[in-house]
Amino acid sequence: MIVTAQKPLDEILDFLSPYNSILIAGCDGCTQPPRGLREARTLAQLLELGGKLRGKKFNFKAMTMPKQCDSYLTLAALQPQMKDMEAILSLACGLGVQTIAQVLPDFHVFPTQNTLFIGAEIREDSTLEERCAACGDCLLASTGGICPIARCAKSLLNGPCGGSQHGKCEIDPEKDCAWDLIIKRLEKLGRLSALDEIRPPRNFGEVMRPGRVSG
Amino acid sequence: MKVSGSKPEFAVRINDESCSKCAICYSSCPFEAIKKDPETGKLLLEIEKCQVCAICYSSCPAKAIDIIYYDMNSLTSYLEKAKDEYKSDSLVIKCKGSAPDFEDVEKLFGISEFIPLSVPCVGRIPAEILLKAISTIRIKAIYILACDEDYCRFERGSLIARLRVTAVNALLEQLGYGKELIRFRQRSLKVKADRNKCISCGNCVFYCPYNAARLENGAATFDLELCRGCGLCVTLCPALALDLEHWEGDRISTIISNLSQKKTPPNILVMRCQWAVFPELGEEFDSNIHIIDMPCAARVDPLHIMEAFWQGIDGVLIVACHEEDCRSKRGSKEARRLTTALKKTLSQLGFEERLHFCSVAPRYPESFQEELRLFKERIENICSQEVRQ
Repeated sequence: MIVTAQKPLDEILDFLSPYNSILIAGCDGCTQPPRGLREARTLAQLLELGGKLRGKKFNFKAMTMPKQCDSYLTLAALQPQMKDMEAILSLACGLGVQTIAQVLPDFHVFPTQNTLFIGAEIREDSTLEERCAACGDCLLASTGGICPIARCAKSLLNGPCGGSQHGKCEIDPEKDCAWDLIIKRLEKLGRLSALDEIRPPRNFGEVMRPGRVSG
Repeated sequence: MKVSGSKPEFAVRINDESCSKCAICYSSCPFEAIKKDPETGKLLLEIEKCQVCAICYSSCPAKAIDIIYYDMNSLTSYLEKAKDEYKSDSLVIKCKGSAPDFEDVEKLFGISEFIPLSVPCVGRIPAEILLKAISTIRIKAIYILACDEDYCRFERGSLIARLRVTAVNALLEQLGYGKELIRFRQRSLKVKADRNKCISCGNCVFYCPYNAARLENGAATFDLELCRGCGLCVTLCPALALDLEHWEGDRISTIISNLSQKKTPPNILVMRCQWAVFPELGEEFDSNIHIIDMPCAARVDPLHIMEAFWQGIDGVLIVACHEEDCRSKRGSKEARRLTTALKKTLSQLGFEERLHFCSVAPRYPESFQEELRLFKERIENICSQEVRQ
């Protein structure tokens, strides 16, 4: 899931200062927390209230679509909605905003979210945690299914470091030490020997940015 | 701090002097809140456990239990007055859990004019009141709408009411009043899912306290046998694909948009769990206080709170049960979490003080009024500061 956090309302209201009629586009895809119709309507209400306090009246239309990163679906969902609209607010991750910019080049589109990371929803704690760094060179086979790139503060290939304290990371005692988790898990699976080999530095030449996959 | 006046500290009390120690209350209390002293046989009420269902009150043959809400005297005087006011000799008693209002009573029972009586659980109505209504107050027919028995928020309330009605009907017939004068129906209000709107996020599956939801063929499906109608899934559905029978989001929106607000602030909306506050018969508030009873605080929807603010409501008070009393397991807890999250967002607009979450219980009769008084003061302060600015 792509984890996002809503931008401050003031920042969004600043984006909107030149406009009156704005489409708020939710995304039912993978954004977490879900940024669908409920979020679109809630944001419309919050911005209306914020506008009222600034002495401005907006005309919002809230809608949602299956996945904003799909240019075909996004164009199909937005096109019939754009009559009399001046700008678009996207509730999706950075992908959604850019897809809208691409398919509707005549409209100004603004993000309402800061896109944070690829994370898992830990429902029991109502939290979202980064789990995958999209590094392009997956190590999970040898680390017991726990990613040290995304979950270790230093992205160590051979851990833990001296900052691992009682299973927690020295940078934040709320966060687990990924290497502590890895070792405990491999021990449980009887596969600790997977760590005997020292991993050499990775070849970052393999991971080219911006990434592109053809075909 | 106690408001001057009037009410006792607790809503229920066992009166030792009239108690015959028959222990019917002890065996009928669904919450094991009544203990029996093994030596003296004396019955002791543990008020902390008491949910004020009044099953003990309605069952006590010695009338040794005092209760604040819907006691014999207030029910009798209500019925006497209401008979003239409504110019009807039919009485409809409904549990709040089975219907938020009397809208579909006409369809259910086939009557259009009646005396309405809404109570938190029909198990609290003593047989004497039913007899008295027919024999003394001259009511011709009584219609009772209870919850389904496995849906009853007080576990045995609906069952006890059904058994009581059977007994009272038999007695009335023997006394020559007529056959089946009391008609009894049961139902439940449950979730409605629109599979076309579902985005398969799984929120309902995770949050349903009754394990009634699952994802099937890419959409939420509910086992209605298990659903208890708390509305938590509805409030948490990001796709607005769910609704609760008779508590539809649109219906609540309509109520909010029709609130007749006073021109001078503050206008306050109270969204309260119907199990957290038992209103007294004929409960009245100042015209700037607007009350909406909810099936559980879990159904208090941030969208509705925002609608209220947009309509110009100055403050919204969310009234829930204490977490340990919640009739829907985690409803109160989740309601608190959702309100806290919304307050955080509203703080960006300087509106956070206008939304308040509190927990009360009917066992403490003053607790709701006290919370309301404090909140009203707070909102009055905010409004007067605004005027000054």
